[in-house]
Amino acid sequence: MTQSHESVIRVSDLKKFYGDVKAVDGVTFEVARGEVFGMLGPNGAGKTTTIEVLEGLRSPDSGIVEVFGLDVCKHPESIKQRIGVQLQSVSLYPRLTVTELLDLFGTFFKNRVPTKQLIDAVDLGERANARSMDLSGGQQQRLSIALALVNDPDLVFLDEPTTGLDPQARRSLWDLVKGLQEKGKSVVLTTHYMEEATELCDRVAIMDHGHILEMGTVPELIGRRFKERAVFFDSTVKFPAERLGKLGGVTRATQEDGQTVLYSKDVAATIGGLLAMADELSAEPHNLGIRQATLEDVFLDLTGRALRD
Amino acid sequence: MKTLIALTIANLKGLTRDRAALFWTFFFPVMFVFLFGWIFGGSGDAKVAIGFVDQDNHSAASAGLQQAFQNVSLLTVQTGSLSDEQAAMQRGDIAAIVVVPEGLGAAAGSKTPTSIELYIDPSQGQTTQGIQQIADKVTGAANLELAGATAVIGVQDKTLQSTNISNVAYLVPSILAMALMQLGIFAAIPLVQQREKGILKRIGATPLARWKLVGSNVLTRLMISLVDAVVILGIGLAVFHVQIVGNLIEMTALVLLGAATFLSIGFMLASFLKTEEQAQGVVQVVQLPMMFLSGIFFSFDFLPGFLQTVARFLPLTYLGDAFRQVMVNGTQVAPLGVDVAILTGWLVVCLGIAARSFRWE
Repeated sequence: MTQSHESVIRVSDLKKFYGDVKAVDGVTFEVARGEVFGMLGPNGAGKTTTIEVLEGLRSPDSGIVEVFGLDVCKHPESIKQRIGVQLQSVSLYPRLTVTELLDLFGTFFKNRVPTKQLIDAVDLGERANARSMDLSGGQQQRLSIALALVNDPDLVFLDEPTTGLDPQARRSLWDLVKGLQEKGKSVVLTTHYMEEATELCDRVAIMDHGHILEMGTVPELIGRRFKERAVFFDSTVKFPAERLGKLGGVTRATQEDGQTVLYSKDVAATIGGLLAMADELSAEPHNLGIRQATLEDVFLDLTGRALRD
Repeated sequence: MKTLIALTIANLKGLTRDRAALFWTFFFPVMFVFLFGWIFGGSGDAKVAIGFVDQDNHSAASAGLQQAFQNVSLLTVQTGSLSDEQAAMQRGDIAAIVVVPEGLGAAAGSKTPTSIELYIDPSQGQTTQGIQQIADKVTGAANLELAGATAVIGVQDKTLQSTNISNVAYLVPSILAMALMQLGIFAAIPLVQQREKGILKRIGATPLARWKLVGSNVLTRLMISLVDAVVILGIGLAVFHVQIVGNLIEMTALVLLGAATFLSIGFMLASFLKTEEQAQGVVQVVQLPMMFLSGIFFSFDFLPGFLQTVARFLPLTYLGDAFRQVMVNGTQVAPLGVDVAILTGWLVVCLGIAARSFRWE
């Protein structure tokens, strides 16, 4: 409780089992006020279960779970008054209109944002009188976010808010989340998309098999695992792998589909050596570039599999 | 309270905008009323045609008998030769032929026992029985007259109800019972649907008390049940002239009890069903046999013994029975108190099971 004035969420050694399945197996983290906290992991990693415990939808088997300094088991009603929840793929009363749904949900809370204001916030003005069943996927997702905001919550949970959206709809949702943060709200979101986490989250937790494998800011997570940067290029001529590995600074080299990636601790030495070698082979490296390792690389390294599996 | 009303209005909007749901809740029972009304309708003035063949040369006795048959209000009597009438019976124009044989008048005069002949069509079971009884009565009266006696003890036709209970009057309360049964049991489908789609879970993440969600569902269905009752009884009254004799409070209470009982069965089913497809199937498996076994469309005395036993456990049997007793003074399967007690028993048990095993996700 000592940190309750700055932490909106405090989870300590949370466990939730379903029979033999350890959905969440000893998870500990805190979320600070005004922070956007991301939870990454494949399906079945335990993200959704963790979030649903925080939302008061499931009771934990063991551990401490506090929201706004209140125990979720003891004060679910007062917590629910102050949180906003967007669940994965929920279609609500399909035959009610956007306005009717927002009005209805407003009656569930003490605190209530005017429906018009919510509709404007998610840019659904033109579809205000459309039935929710007639909305496009992106519009439905925006509606479900508006529904999560009817009570002007201090803490918003977004469970895979952009899954299934086209890139443009995803961008506009990102803007919405950034807007929430600017208003001082805390956000917990789960996602499959590394790019999304990198763009939005102050900190992320990478989960798998009910555990948090790693937690921190995105640059921290990358820096912790990857000291090297990646030098990459395309070529029609095959560069001998054993010679690439001996170039200055290179720790590891991969070649796939005509693209070569060299992980290097000394980029200048690597590129110098590479160009000399290309001269010698009369080959020309195309699209030569340097990049940081990404969250995707971190995830691959941590779990041995790609996130979307 | 505000929330409860808002949810109930949302439910009603959802229903009135759903054509399939509208069809099953309103048009289907209304269709039944019209269908059965037309099939069995106007049984009060349905007359049975018989042929009368006079082979006794218009004797006083044969003329008297012809008049006696014509006086029976249920019959229309046509006359002709035996071969003509037999042909008419073959065509199905008439249901029976009464033949007064030659010499009947003379035999009657001399008080020699004699008889008229009655040709009947055994394929028309109930009609045939009726005609045999009528013929017995007519000849009985003639015999008394011939003996110069007056009938001291007569039978005055009385039925239990204030007016004759026609088939339609029997069926209208039955159709109402059927409609309430379907209304309640079909409630399982949207519930399973809402759970499958995560709507129940989403609402669970708001401070809304769960009893309000359930309460609004119950309230919505009870309101619809009253509308159903008004529509069905209204059509029975206006189109088929069924006399509704029950008092309004009793009828309303019974409609609500019946709706609540079947709603609790719907909730109980929803507790055990996982997918909408399952729900669609199981709901039919429950409601169809119940519809046919519970004696709402025909008396279950016709059913084989073990099915009668089954019927005696079905709540629909007792709802239909209670409705008929209260609304049209129909004959009873069980006393009204027993009907109400059995319905209440089903309500309590199913609600208890639902409350214990209902899953929100």
